[in-house]
Amino acid sequence: MIGFLRLPQQLRLDLPLRRDATGRFLPWIIALMVYLAAMGGTALIWLGDTLSQWDATLASALTLQIPADASPARIDMALGALRQTKGIVSAHLLQPEETAKLLEPWLGSSVSVGDLPLPRLVDVRIDPRTAIDYLRLRQQLASIIPEAQLDSNRTWLSGVREFALRVEGVITAGVFVVAMLIVAIIVFTARIGLAIHRSVIELLHLLGAQDAYIARQFQVHALALGLRGGVIGGIAAVATVIILGPAGHLLALPVPIAAYGIFDWRLWVLLIVTGLIAGGVAMVTARITVLRQLSRMP
Amino acid sequence: MVRLDNVGKRYGTDAEILHDVSLTLDPGGFYFLTGVSGAGKTTLLKIIYLSEPPSNGAITLFDIDASTADRTTHTAMRRRIGIVFQDFRLVDHLTVRDNVALPLRIAGASEREIRENVPELLGWIGLEGKLDYRPAQLSGGEQQRVAIARAIVRRPDLLIADEPTGNIDDEIAMLLVRIFERINRLGTTVLIATHDISFARQFTHRRYHLDRGALSIASDGDAAE
Repeated sequence: MIGFLRLPQQLRLDLPLRRDATGRFLPWIIALMVYLAAMGGTALIWLGDTLSQWDATLASALTLQIPADASPARIDMALGALRQTKGIVSAHLLQPEETAKLLEPWLGSSVSVGDLPLPRLVDVRIDPRTAIDYLRLRQQLASIIPEAQLDSNRTWLSGVREFALRVEGVITAGVFVVAMLIVAIIVFTARIGLAIHRSVIELLHLLGAQDAYIARQFQVHALALGLRGGVIGGIAAVATVIILGPAGHLLALPVPIAAYGIFDWRLWVLLIVTGLIAGGVAMVTARITVLRQLSRMP
Repeated sequence: MVRLDNVGKRYGTDAEILHDVSLTLDPGGFYFLTGVSGAGKTTLLKIIYLSEPPSNGAITLFDIDASTADRTTHTAMRRRIGIVFQDFRLVDHLTVRDNVALPLRIAGASEREIRENVPELLGWIGLEGKLDYRPAQLSGGEQQRVAIARAIVRRPDLLIADEPTGNIDDEIAMLLVRIFERINRLGTTVLIATHDISFARQFTHRRYHLDRGALSIASDGDAAE
């Protein structure tokens, strides 16, 4: 089943690195790292898309709250002021039944909305491309209904954005830590390899091998192990995305994860790039570590 | 070809293994280095093939002062030396073909060149049928022949053999020296270290003798022998 995990025999190595125990567990450790990095990257894509969608939805909407005791005449005047403002596409006064439906998740269906002093809500649609003079609009509405509140969602949205940026920072830091862990593991493995195969390395030196020739053996081996780990981690990441697709609906996430599933080209780019980076990091780290160690040998 | 001037070797604070050794190997020469076990033969050979630096004195190889040469120059000099180690030092996981091809690959020879030269050489030493064998599948004598093939595959200027006649009977040892003589006739300088002084005496080649770290030119009537 795991035959594909074996290194191709055509990759002839003078050093018996394939026999090392480290070579057996290393791809799995790298796979775990690649999996974590890939899932982190997927989360970044999902987070970015969710924010964009919220941004697009909320940036084109405003809500006007009118106190429950406001007279119908004043409400009409306020609606008129909204509709005459440049950049506002529509202003729809929510009927008590509509407000009740919005509050149903919190209040339940048994509560009669008419018994509560609920504010009247106006759903305002705006053209995001047109700048609205909010200061003037607020002053105008305050002159009609002093307690009316115009909520542009921007304060809330900027808070969400700030939070999302922090989450992105944490995920990026996590991916960086994962890369550093791969570096540390490869350094450790390369040093063990150098110690185990010291006599053969010495022989290669005596046969006229340059340090770069010996380092190439380690780097080819590390590249193969890194790419193998990348493939395993990538497969696990795809499986997770497939499983989490339906889970996204079950959890009622605002943006379904399924939308960013196996048919999203960005997922494949992410997996290929993560796998290649894992192989590349392993290869470069092995080369630098081995060259450094060999320069201390006679 | 090789010149050692007042070379000494000591590991840490231990007693000196080589003391004030001076030696010259001329191009195309054939030499024996004799001495009992522990006399310092392997240490002297290691200094010549640049595995160990001398503690003092100077070593000149191929007209280059090895004591002051950099790492790259050492690598270039090592490529001109063929070594038959006492314990053969074949790489276990490589086939006979790949073991012999190792110096060629290190030197950047093409696979075509390797395909042409390696089987021919192995045929010359009687191992044509064992190209794909691993060292563990060979007898001691066969392993030694593979080690010799690896040492000469690049036609070295200097061939060093450490106790090549150590564990084989006289007839085969004689055959082995004949092989070294054939290589020598092609222009390679040969240095053979052996503890078997009487064996070395059977040949007319120049002999150096090591006794407790001191080197002398041996002769048949030498009391040291």
